Amino acid sequence: MSEDRVRGILDGLQNVAGDRAYPLEVAESVGGSGVKARVEPRDGEELAACLEVFSSHGEPALVMGAGTRMALGNPVRGASIALSCRGLQGILEFDVADGVIQVAAGTPLMELARAVEAEGWLLPLDPPDRGGTVGGVLATAACGPRQRGFGSVRDAVLGIDTAMASGARTRCGARVVKNVTGYDLAKLYVGSLGTLAVIEKVWLRLKPVPASTRVVEIETLEAEDAFAVAVAATRRSSARAVALVGETSHCWRLVAEFAGEEPVTKADAAWLSEGRGGHETGETAVDAVRLLQEERSPKGLKVRIHLVPGALAMVCSRLRAEGARVLAYPEPGVVHAELNPGDAGEAPGSWLEAALERLDGICAAAAAELVIEALPLGASAERDVFFGAPGLGLMRSVKERFDPDGILNPGRFAGWI
Amino acid sequence: MSQNSANFPTAAPILIERLTAVVGKDNCLSRPEELFTYGCDGLTLDAHLPVAVVLPKTTEEVAAAVKVCLELGRPFVPRGAGTGLSGGAVPLCEAVVICCSRMRDILEIDAENRIAVVQPGVVNAHLSQAVGHLGLLYAPDPSSQQACTIGGNVAENSGGPHTLKYGTTTNHVIAVEMVLPDGSTVRLGSRTGFSAGYDLVGAAVGSEGTLGIVTEVTVRLVAIPEAVETLLAIFDDVPAACRLVGGIIRSGMVPAALEVVDQRTIQAVEASVYAAGLPTDAGAVLIIELDGAACEMEAQLARIRDLARGEGVRELRIAQDAEERALFWRARKGAFGAMGRLAPDLYVHDAVVPRASLPEVLEEICAIGDRYRLKLSNVFHAGDGNLHPNISFDRRDADELTRVLAAGREMLELCVRVGGVLTGEHGVGTEKRDYMGMLFSSDDLDVMRRLRDAFNPDGMCNPGKLIPTTRACTESNPKARGYDAVPLG
Repeated sequence: MSEDRVRGILDGLQNVAGDRAYPLEVAESVGGSGVKARVEPRDGEELAACLEVFSSHGEPALVMGAGTRMALGNPVRGASIALSCRGLQGILEFDVADGVIQVAAGTPLMELARAVEAEGWLLPLDPPDRGGTVGGVLATAACGPRQRGFGSVRDAVLGIDTAMASGARTRCGARVVKNVTGYDLAKLYVGSLGTLAVIEKVWLRLKPVPASTRVVEIETLEAEDAFAVAVAATRRSSARAVALVGETSHCWRLVAEFAGEEPVTKADAAWLSEGRGGHETGETAVDAVRLLQEERSPKGLKVRIHLVPGALAMVCSRLRAEGARVLAYPEPGVVHAELNPGDAGEAPGSWLEAALERLDGICAAAAAELVIEALPLGASAERDVFFGAPGLGLMRSVKERFDPDGILNPGRFAGWI
Repeated sequence: MSQNSANFPTAAPILIERLTAVVGKDNCLSRPEELFTYGCDGLTLDAHLPVAVVLPKTTEEVAAAVKVCLELGRPFVPRGAGTGLSGGAVPLCEAVVICCSRMRDILEIDAENRIAVVQPGVVNAHLSQAVGHLGLLYAPDPSSQQACTIGGNVAENSGGPHTLKYGTTTNHVIAVEMVLPDGSTVRLGSRTGFSAGYDLVGAAVGSEGTLGIVTEVTVRLVAIPEAVETLLAIFDDVPAACRLVGGIIRSGMVPAALEVVDQRTIQAVEASVYAAGLPTDAGAVLIIELDGAACEMEAQLARIRDLARGEGVRELRIAQDAEERALFWRARKGAFGAMGRLAPDLYVHDAVVPRASLPEVLEEICAIGDRYRLKLSNVFHAGDGNLHPNISFDRRDADELTRVLAAGREMLELCVRVGGVLTGEHGVGTEKRDYMGMLFSSDDLDVMRRLRDAFNPDGMCNPGKLIPTTRACTESNPKARGYDAVPLG
């Protein structure tokens, strides 16, 4: 896009957002897009006005939060100006008695978690990186090891206020914990990578702080036992997080967190430890698992595989045989794997193609769903990292109606939506 | 019924002929006496006869029936058991009803992965019965679970008393097969619980049959809890019962159910065959159900005893066995039946408010009922803030019916005013369609319309539901008569 065009649109954005719309001295690469300017609206009204400017110019907006998970999805097509929501800050309403909270999308997740914990509640969001914003967690539907206990992101969301591409401010859901008044649009927005609407603020349902928490670690489990033990551990009534880690040897390391009434976490921890060489450790072991999920090497290929628990053993074993570093959560079944090129001096491009083909084969055999979380740096961006989606025709139809001019993160989602 | 026999819609012979060719003679109904059943659902105030009813047995038959309707310009309405309470299955616009109640096979039970795949006509309770021997159950348990179908539950995102801990239908459905309003068939979601792209399963659940016809449902099953404890806390007034609910939740417990029955309901129940031995002078009874590991029950019971005492509980009963547990639940689940003694008709309302506002809202709701001289009683899912004010009345009394509808509207306005919503589990349907503006702006509703149009661009699938409009019939079928757009509830 020409400098003049960027300047013209930036003028419009400055009219509504003042110095919160500014050019970047050096263009930045954000999720594969070259960004030359940024606007950070400070409230919903300003957000809507900014979108009107983008829309009136037919200009795509690179919608983002803190930018911690921009590697997810396909690169946004043709966007030069970032619309960052991190200026939308603050807890707007906190009903401590009911355990529900309304928060602006740009609020840092950690800040929210601390505020909630100070009132004796727990924020049931557990993305691998905790540096991002609340809106970013919703848009990416990012889950970590505690999905077993917390539920997925969509389960925590009660209502969302959004700005549509047209600049119209709309809401869905509400603050109450049970609601079937109209379509459940929040389900569509969660995980949509900012391609349908821009999240302005959100009502979340909190969880009570458990009376006790215990973490058990088993350093080495033989492959033939590991998966059955992990699934059984996940099905103990107080299981909040269960993770299997396969990195170097043929053995697996298991970390399990139990949360609930004292007698039940004690019983569940004892059940897991006994006869398997398990020992109790602290919550930092769960934090370490979360970091592992986030970790990637620049040359590596990171994928996420969704599967049923019964396919865990087959998929994990075959991934290990491929030399992958594997982190697996048994139920809901999610496997994170990283593959790195060997030292054989194979050309990076052909290695990647071959690796993806083998992964595709493994997933097809297990009726599992494969998603690329990060391609090796420098890899061609011409592939849909979502490997297609059932109902893609319907999805395009939804996108065309919500964002007819393709303003919001065009191309980033499944099927280049 | 608002429709008398003089107004029977008549189907073109070609329509019946072609539908019969799809589903067979025994599965296509078109005689007036056969159609009556399908004129309404559980909201019997709003009845509109269909021109025909088909009862397909396979996805292919559903798709073929839809295509016949499209070719002949006839709208169509999906239906399960017809137990819905908001008019979702009412065939407006002289539609064809596509009733999935004969699609009742459980296609697969995968105990290892705790998944079941069912046809939409499987009765809710039958699924739990079929997987009980495996130590599993299907968690959503609407009060109509002995009759309602899983397909209908998907359409309405049905809840039930145990949603406080287990969530509603949307938390348990991971994939669906759907016949779209253009007659094509899609599969959405996957049995892994994830599929790339927009969460169209999440959008389809609770869409009240306006986005397509669900022909297969993949659900998650949960383990039958090791231990269950059911308690009855008897109070002098409703606010004290509500305070105990707040206290229990604040203490970190997540009971399986927290249900309140008010004095008017207690009196009706105790005078009926559902009598559970409750003191009729009690102001409120709170049913508390805990489930989980056996070893955690004692600590939780002790905490509840302390909290209940702190709220001045008059009496706390703990069920000693399954029989007594059933007796306690009879007071709650028999409430609707017991109302039948008070008057020929019962209007079951459904709204949700923030939990903390329950005492004041209930007081106000009773005042509204009194002001309109109505027999009003309350049972509610207190843990969710989900109210069910019940009005007993006689529809033959036109004046009383007017007062019932006016009071209902006032109650909804009150709930919205305190931050609540129009419906927690019954749906919008025709009942609350024209009240959507109380809660949503025209821009909000426009987004919903866009979603509907993405699936159902010509409005042929279940027209006139959920989103306010005055053009439903003309949009979908220019030849059809307009329907009565007067709001009902």
